[in-house]
Amino acid sequence: MSMGVGIGRREITGMVVGAVVLALLPMVVQDSYYRHLLIMVFIYGIVASSWDLSLGYAGIFNFGHMALFGIGLYTYGLATTLLGISPWIALLAGGVLAALAAALISLPILRLKGIYVVLVTFAFGQLVVQLIISQSDYTGGNQGLVRIPSFHIPGHNLMRDHKLGFYYIALILLCCSTVFLRLMVRSRLGLAIRALRDNEEYATSRGISISRQRLITMAGSAVFTGLAGAFYGAYFRNASTDVFGASLTTLLLSMVLLGGISTIYGSLLAALLLTIFSEMIAGLGAWRPIVIGVLIILVMLAYPGGLYGAIAAAARALRRLGRRQASP
Amino acid sequence: MSILEVVGVSKLFGALRAVDDVSFTVEAGEIFGIAGPNGSGKSTLFNTISGIPFGPDEGRVVFQGQDLSRLKGHVIARMGLARTFQRETAFDTLSVFENALMGASYGRAARGAGAAEVTEALQFVGFDKAMFRRPAAELSVYDRKCLMLATALAMSPRILLLDEPASGLTKPEIEDSITLIRRIAGRGITILLIEHVLTMLLTLSQRLMVLNQGRMLILGEPEEVVRNPEVIRAYLGDRRRAA
Repeated sequence: MSMGVGIGRREITGMVVGAVVLALLPMVVQDSYYRHLLIMVFIYGIVASSWDLSLGYAGIFNFGHMALFGIGLYTYGLATTLLGISPWIALLAGGVLAALAAALISLPILRLKGIYVVLVTFAFGQLVVQLIISQSDYTGGNQGLVRIPSFHIPGHNLMRDHKLGFYYIALILLCCSTVFLRLMVRSRLGLAIRALRDNEEYATSRGISISRQRLITMAGSAVFTGLAGAFYGAYFRNASTDVFGASLTTLLLSMVLLGGISTIYGSLLAALLLTIFSEMIAGLGAWRPIVIGVLIILVMLAYPGGLYGAIAAAARALRRLGRRQASP
Repeated sequence: MSILEVVGVSKLFGALRAVDDVSFTVEAGEIFGIAGPNGSGKSTLFNTISGIPFGPDEGRVVFQGQDLSRLKGHVIARMGLARTFQRETAFDTLSVFENALMGASYGRAARGAGAAEVTEALQFVGFDKAMFRRPAAELSVYDRKCLMLATALAMSPRILLLDEPASGLTKPEIEDSITLIRRIAGRGITILLIEHVLTMLLTLSQRLMVLNQGRMLILGEPEEVVRNPEVIRAYLGDRRRAA
């Protein structure tokens, strides 16, 4: 159990080691395709771990989270194609607009509970899709946006480097996102949202404002989600309303739950495993979602704490074993 | 100026008047006892004063000269009005230290509050530093009550509303609680005390109010109040009807 706020030395060390390992990985992983997989892992990891903040820690059943990703994507797409804005600025705009949208959704749900939050946030997502489809002159509607400009790094050709440039951009986003989320979670705000989740009335009686904490949490969960969406647009160079669909939502939600809610790192781990595993069984075709679904159910039944919980339990067991062996 | 004025406060649940036109004032630094049979509206009165979940339907509450009408519960808490609950409540997924940190971070002195205030509040109620890291979910009933009190104290409150602090406690624990409450009052914190346990009520209260069916029955010196025949009838019922 911890003593309040701040990120501990062990975690900082772990973060640095992890970042270094991932930064050196392209030396070993040279194939374009595998680098592409890792980039997808990074993107999904950012989105899933951000969702863990609002869904896992704060207990807000935000079913509009993928809409925030889509808003980041379309902001980037429209800003670069329609307004001719520089890709880097458009990237930032994706994050900002997603955060503003999240703040907007949170207003009607500030005092709502449980399923009503699901309904309102889901409706919000649908609203955004309809908005995009209805403005098809600008947004490409159901056909989507194509030929979206991508990043330009002077002196480096992003198209001919076996995805090395995109890999590092995605990695930097992932590192920033993880540090940001962990700082939030280990701050007084992070404690306050857990306190609100534990007992809302008691938290209020101790001076914690439900509305304010929810607003900050929703906006916090949106910033890097929007940036990831914008990056997605720069990477694939097209945008479609598919990202608002049920299949991507299900995939990302599975990552959050499978990884273990209220952990941040759990989502990252699950993003890695699910993406890799999904590729490994690609040959199974239509069986793939079924296999993945069954697997998730089995893991959740065995370890309600998700993968992170399972690993933590194993680590505890090993430590106990080590102690018992040390003192006969 | 009195620290708390309750003026004609009522709380209705449909047609039921859970609190019915209750008025009293509390002087700064006093220990004000509130008694009454079960269902007389004591806890509901605390709810309306603290604004959680809702304030009064009729009348108003004035705290330190400020009208609390239409103020949200967390705002009232930050003004320096802290309360404890009948059931020993805690933030279960947080540690002992983190529980009290919440009180300190969002209480009256939030801006400057930190580890020092938290440690002080926890040690004041009797927690050893070794206990600070324990998850709140693992504590005993008595320790949870102490923790609930510590989080309230960490807010640097001006007034403390205690809702049946002795419920579920053993005799020695009740003795300890009385001492603790006296020490809190010794710091200048005004206390409103709802209690059933007579020893606690009579030892601590400087004035005592009795509620019955939401209405004020009597308000006065504790020793006289408990001997009042109407009060006895409210608790024990009318002997003539029983016969």
